[in-house]
Amino acid sequence: MKSSKNPQNKRLKATLVIAFGVFILLIIRLSYLQIYKGEELKRGALNQWTRGITIKPKRGFIYDRNGKKLAISKNASTAWVNIAELKVDSKKENAEKIARILDLEEVKILEIFNKKTGHERLKQWISEDEVLDLKEANVRGIEIVDDYKRYYPYDSFASHVIGFTDIDNNGLYGIEKTYDNYLSGEKGKWIKITDAPGRQLPFDSEKVYEAEDGMSIVLTIDETVQKFAEKAVNESMANNKARNISVIAMEPKTGEILAMVNKPDYDPNHPRKAKDESTQKEWDQLDSKELQEKWFDTWRNYSINDIYEPGSTFKLITAAAALEENLISKNSNFYCNGFIKVDGETLKCSRYYNPHRDLTFQQGLDVSCNIVFINTANRLGKEKFLKYLKAFGFGQKTGIDLNGEEYGLIPRSVDVIRDVNLGTMSYGHGVAVTPIQLVNAVAAITNGGDLMKPRLVKEIIDSKGNSVEKFEPEIIRKVLSKETSDTMLELMESVVNDGSGSNAYIPGYTVGGKTGTAEKVVDGRYVKGKYIGSFAAVSPTNEPKMVMLVIVDDPEGVYYGGTTAAPIAKEIIENTLKYLEISAEESKDEIGGFVQVPDVTGMKIEEAGKILTEAGLRYMTDFRVSDSNVVVIQQFPETGITLELDSIIDLVLDKKGSKVEVKMPELKGKNKEEIVNILEKMNLEYNIQGEGVCKKQSPEPGSKLTKETKIQINLE
Amino acid sequence: MRRRRTKRTIEDNRNKKNQVDFILLITTLMLVFIGFIMVFSSSWPDAMGHPYNDEYYFIKRQIIFGIIGFVAMVFVMNIDYRNWKKNSFIIYLLSLGTVALLFTPLGVERLGARRWISLGIIGFMPGDIVKLGSIIFFANFLANKKRSARQFKSGFIPAMMVMSVSLASIYIQRDLGTTLTLAGTMMFMYIIAGMNILFLVPIIGLVSSVAVYIFKKAASDPTSSNAFRVRRIMSFLDPFKYSLNEGYQAVQSLYALGSGGVFGLGLGKSRQKFFYIPEPYNDFIFSIIGEELGLAGSTLIIILYMILIWRGVTIAINIEDLFGKYLATGITALVTIQTIIHISVVTSTIPTTGITLPFISYGGTSLVIYMSMIGILLNLSRYAKLD
Repeated sequence: MKSSKNPQNKRLKATLVIAFGVFILLIIRLSYLQIYKGEELKRGALNQWTRGITIKPKRGFIYDRNGKKLAISKNASTAWVNIAELKVDSKKENAEKIARILDLEEVKILEIFNKKTGHERLKQWISEDEVLDLKEANVRGIEIVDDYKRYYPYDSFASHVIGFTDIDNNGLYGIEKTYDNYLSGEKGKWIKITDAPGRQLPFDSEKVYEAEDGMSIVLTIDETVQKFAEKAVNESMANNKARNISVIAMEPKTGEILAMVNKPDYDPNHPRKAKDESTQKEWDQLDSKELQEKWFDTWRNYSINDIYEPGSTFKLITAAAALEENLISKNSNFYCNGFIKVDGETLKCSRYYNPHRDLTFQQGLDVSCNIVFINTANRLGKEKFLKYLKAFGFGQKTGIDLNGEEYGLIPRSVDVIRDVNLGTMSYGHGVAVTPIQLVNAVAAITNGGDLMKPRLVKEIIDSKGNSVEKFEPEIIRKVLSKETSDTMLELMESVVNDGSGSNAYIPGYTVGGKTGTAEKVVDGRYVKGKYIGSFAAVSPTNEPKMVMLVIVDDPEGVYYGGTTAAPIAKEIIENTLKYLEISAEESKDEIGGFVQVPDVTGMKIEEAGKILTEAGLRYMTDFRVSDSNVVVIQQFPETGITLELDSIIDLVLDKKGSKVEVKMPELKGKNKEEIVNILEKMNLEYNIQGEGVCKKQSPEPGSKLTKETKIQINLE
Repeated sequence: MRRRRTKRTIEDNRNKKNQVDFILLITTLMLVFIGFIMVFSSSWPDAMGHPYNDEYYFIKRQIIFGIIGFVAMVFVMNIDYRNWKKNSFIIYLLSLGTVALLFTPLGVERLGARRWISLGIIGFMPGDIVKLGSIIFFANFLANKKRSARQFKSGFIPAMMVMSVSLASIYIQRDLGTTLTLAGTMMFMYIIAGMNILFLVPIIGLVSSVAVYIFKKAASDPTSSNAFRVRRIMSFLDPFKYSLNEGYQAVQSLYALGSGGVFGLGLGKSRQKFFYIPEPYNDFIFSIIGEELGLAGSTLIIILYMILIWRGVTIAINIEDLFGKYLATGITALVTIQTIIHISVVTSTIPTTGITLPFISYGGTSLVIYMSMIGILLNLSRYAKLD
């Protein structure tokens, strides 16, 4: 070809080849990126395109053993803003609108609106009215997301057992924490493909992965028994101003905990608020660290998180061990001359100034003579004593389904036990136990000898109510024989009938128990003048339905366990046994006569009172009656039971309404305080929203109110 | 003698005046049409938003300029290319003059660079005009030098001076990408014109030592005006490490290509154009092509460019007239180099520099100028002895 002679053309051809070479290299590069690296790059791209909005599952409920709802999840909505969707030129105007609806500061909303991109939470758990107003306002970019709010209908009730959650429904304490995995369910996701600022793209359908609701927990706690216990503890606390009172009630055969009370407690709906205003004022002064300590203190479940020196209640352990080893019988003879010298130290009986002299083992337990138990422990010897401590589960976790359980303190081995230690341990000094350990040991002593695993959860059910898992009684080990257990029940009953536990005596029922009083140990030292009184109880002794441990920590005035703790146990046991419909036996004591309880439910209080008084009974009501027309809706004990004369019948009144027709009052124009006053006096349930004076009320004034009527007051 | 020879050539060529190169014409039009589609697809998310509020904003303008470009192409196609030779000096001066206009109140500064002249409703980019002016002038310059172009004193030095003037006029617009494109184009024209290849050694040495010097200085002083280039080069080595700042565009471009795979997400289905890639109808339009049309589509488009370049080189080879040969070389080299740089940036093969894809990217001046250049090539094809 002629042109190839031309030098320019040679170079042109060469450069064409080079250029094509470069293009081919670029195609190879493209193939590498689009095929070989394609998946990896696609993943990265997908990552930035997709915005997932979490769909929150409904947290499972917590029920008591009879299906009463102790913790529920209420539907609530949360207002969000997708900043990218906001109209740029009307931000100020919209912020003003939203601030008015949500009752927030306009400046803060505008601050959020002026952020570059993203989803921001405006207000969590907004009311239905706020939802409606927001929908009506129809501001682009404002999103209302369904959400759930944890709600504890009984406020502080069983708060240490139930625990509470954080604002995002994560369990933080109690059952809420230990069963969080079950309760919380599986989060769902709402996946959208968006542009860089976060707006949804016009194509690509969004994907929704539904959330899976959490499972519900059925507790072993019996709401009624717990209520009895809380009531008894509250009354006692009002009298003796104790620093802390704890009660654990347990079913000895199954290890199921019927009630677990610690006072003071907190309201899990507002776990960071103090119980009363004066305390709150005190708290407001604290810095954040001190405040946090206060919170942790109130959230502590004394029953399992704290150890204490059990004192004489521990004699039950010594007694059971010695009986099981056949070293003594209840009639074995002992002699108390007031004190005993061990290792050069003098151990005293509490009545050293007036020694018990000759007494049987049973009498020794009745009067709680230390000398008898020092001698008993000496017969047992260190090795066996330690063996029984361990067998009863002291020094170990019981395995109860709550977090933070303490181990307690018992000697590590036989070698470290000195004679004097053995002596003091026999009456419960020089050991430290948790309340749950002791009550569990008492359960083993009274249930025929089996150490059970204490349990708070009976069953786990799914959101449709089907059983997922049932927890059966779990025997950890056999500690005592049936015979020993029976003897122990006799001995314990004797303590109540004839000994230091007489304050727990309930006519018609058999109660066994053991008192205890110990100086308080703080940081390893005894604190003079501070005592812990306690009482371990079992009832009925012929067929134990419940064991109980009541601990009164640092009360004012009399501090003996028999005086402080036993009456609490008595009240709870009495109410519980009646509630469990265990009929009272004829008492050996002389009493005026018996009467069958009449049925007064459904009657007006006036009428019911008359009938009960005429029948020779007294009655109590659960709140002060201001209206003689209030109706009795429940009575304890129920009709048909025979009671001795002058017994007390508890009447539950219908708080919500009486037979008298109630009409909705005119509330418009009144302020919040006035409205609350009026409605409280009428015993009505209501819901007030907003601040200012009433603009809207539902129902209208003059309309008839029934129990179901929802009263809604809107203030502006 | 020169005149006589020229005259004879003209007569020769007149006698053999051919049809225009049909393949070149069709290929160009195909690329422009693909450009329309891709500009529309990639620009509408931007166009819908503030301040355009019209999803057809960019495509309308691109079509209008496409029509103007087509008219210009047909017009130029029918102008004897030797007219460019006669007026090459004036054309060159005028093109440089447009650069000077940048520094009058007509110049518009955008994103820290002055590259745009505004004449009320219409405006243009001097950079594109200088490209054309430089090619015409340099082609004439080299054609006049003939054999002496090889020599150092009479060829190399003056050629370098012409190049320096052209490149400086682009460089002051802070447009490194276009500067490099034009530098490559003019170098190729000179190499084709017979430059001693050994001269490349001192050029490469000089350029690279200056580059290293600037790089080092900028690297040690983050406030310097070249500091962003240093960061760009660093981020080029590992774009994912800098994916939130300097490496952002590179990463986004790779994401687009990667999600395209072999057959693409489908026309219009790009997600990266939704503000992940800024102005996706400009410097990164090939990413969107890769995402929507996949490896298949992007390869097809590369092949179209290869056909275009093949035709350009064929015209250059087959034209006897040196000016025509160098003109065809320059135009083809410009398209080639700019295309290669654009695709290399998009595939993160070289550090990111903003450069459009000829015929396809959005931009009126660029489209009209490129189509006019193809008009020149088509005119040249009439005088080339094509089979």
